Amino acid sequence: MICEHCKDRQATVTVTQVVNGQKSERHYCEVCANKFHPFNIDFHKDEQIPIHQLVSNLFGLPVWNNAQEKLQATTQKITQCPQCGYTFRQFLNEGKLGCSQCYETFSNKLPQVLTKIQAGTKHIGKSPGRPTNDHTRIKKQIETTREQLLLAISEERFEDAAKLRDEIKDMERKLERGGVDAP
Amino acid sequence: MNLEHFLKSEAPGWMDDKGLDADIVLSTRIRLARNLEGYRYPLSFTEQEAKQIDGVVSQAVLNINNDKRIFSHFTIKEMPLLQRQVLVEKHLISPLLAKKEKSASVLLSSDETISVMINEEDHLRIQCLLPGLQLLETYELANKLDSHLEKQLPYAFNESFGYLTCCPTNVGTGLRASVMMHLPALTMSKQIKAVTQMLARFGMVVRGIYGEGSENLGNVYQISNQVTLGKSEEEIIDDLQNIVVQIIQSERGAREALLKKSKVVLEDRFNRSLGTLRYARVMTSEEAAACLSNVRLGVDVGIINDVPLSVLNECMILIQPGFVQQYAGTTLQPAERDIFRAKLLREKLNVNRQSSMEKGEEKYDV
Repeated sequence: MICEHCKDRQATVTVTQVVNGQKSERHYCEVCANKFHPFNIDFHKDEQIPIHQLVSNLFGLPVWNNAQEKLQATTQKITQCPQCGYTFRQFLNEGKLGCSQCYETFSNKLPQVLTKIQAGTKHIGKSPGRPTNDHTRIKKQIETTREQLLLAISEERFEDAAKLRDEIKDMERKLERGGVDAP
Repeated sequence: MNLEHFLKSEAPGWMDDKGLDADIVLSTRIRLARNLEGYRYPLSFTEQEAKQIDGVVSQAVLNINNDKRIFSHFTIKEMPLLQRQVLVEKHLISPLLAKKEKSASVLLSSDETISVMINEEDHLRIQCLLPGLQLLETYELANKLDSHLEKQLPYAFNESFGYLTCCPTNVGTGLRASVMMHLPALTMSKQIKAVTQMLARFGMVVRGIYGEGSENLGNVYQISNQVTLGKSEEEIIDDLQNIVVQIIQSERGAREALLKKSKVVLEDRFNRSLGTLRYARVMTSEEAAACLSNVRLGVDVGIINDVPLSVLNECMILIQPGFVQQYAGTTLQPAERDIFRAKLLREKLNVNRQSSMEKGEEKYDV
């Protein structure tokens, strides 16, 4: 029999795996079997365990056994980031992404992780090349001016109040014009 | 500017004693994480990419040099280990950056309030540090630099995820705002646990000042926001500001209560600590931090009058291993460090006493 992995050498090792009650048998040569051998993988895992657990706890997602992942990798295609070669599993294991492209590559899977650790999945706030948060700033300004307006009215400073009222109107107009893309 | 300027044994600019609520809030720090489009992140990039990023970012920062703040560029690899440690202890670079072997570097402003770390976890991290509670001011400082840089650098930005970062805990605004607080009364009265739990509920984290795991060494805590996505910069800063103000109030309340209940005990404790600092011959960093915290509280509540806050701020920085070794001029074993640390503290706290006695009134503005 020929090794299932390298399809080159003679298969001398039989790996029996039970996943969810389903038994599967694989035949490898000694070289390939060594790569998949659980003891080998355990050595690697040793140093990573704290981060592993931390990240998986943090994201609330199970971290699969590396052995399974590797076995899977040979049989089924996994989405890999074209720029840095990161896979989603790798991200879950390390808690870090490899490059900015990863955000595109995993854009359908990332939100479920982000909801666990962030306040939302949509960025609100500064964007490059745009005046910073003009919208919220104007809104705040309107609020404070309104307070001043009420104060002016209660103190019967009606000239001031008229001025403040006009200021608020101006700001509201500005907000309508500039706030098209705001949430 | 040469590196010596940043290594001298003095409290850094951010440890001035003039900030707002400076008795409780030691400093405010803002950090912005940014990456450049088209390059892989430092954990997976090549040496060549690292060099290119270092070049582009440094150039961009040096281009905006104005008269007030002059930036100097230092490559981490070229620095001896001890010097890196001193910069870490001054909070000018992160421990992670200090360990980097690939083209990592830092740009420091001459007044030590701004540092731009290159190729740390992200391509660049803008950090601004100011004394006291100044969240808005510090953010403005960082924001201004960021806005200058974005004109020259192609930031990695995505409409839905915001600024893209290596770790998803920073994505969005890339903003981490932290406030360093001295909370001895809350610690003594065991209320700090409740505070920590409350903070967690508001998405804030608490750490010790001397890094991870040094939880309450010297009763100094660093409080910062956890959430970076789904909240605007203003909201993040407002929320932190509100929480910090509440903590300040409860700390003041706890101080008053303690003082009312056990003034003599406290007086005794503060003065013993001052005595230890002035006369001890062997001093571990734990003991030094504890004594400094006591003396500081003594100064804050007006029981100790002849030690300026600035000296205490300086000592808090100087008791760390890197500084002690720099003071000794050589690397030391922990036991030797304790001896030098005691000597350093004696010098700092006694010299000051002599000068304050000579100058009389002038020094009593604490």
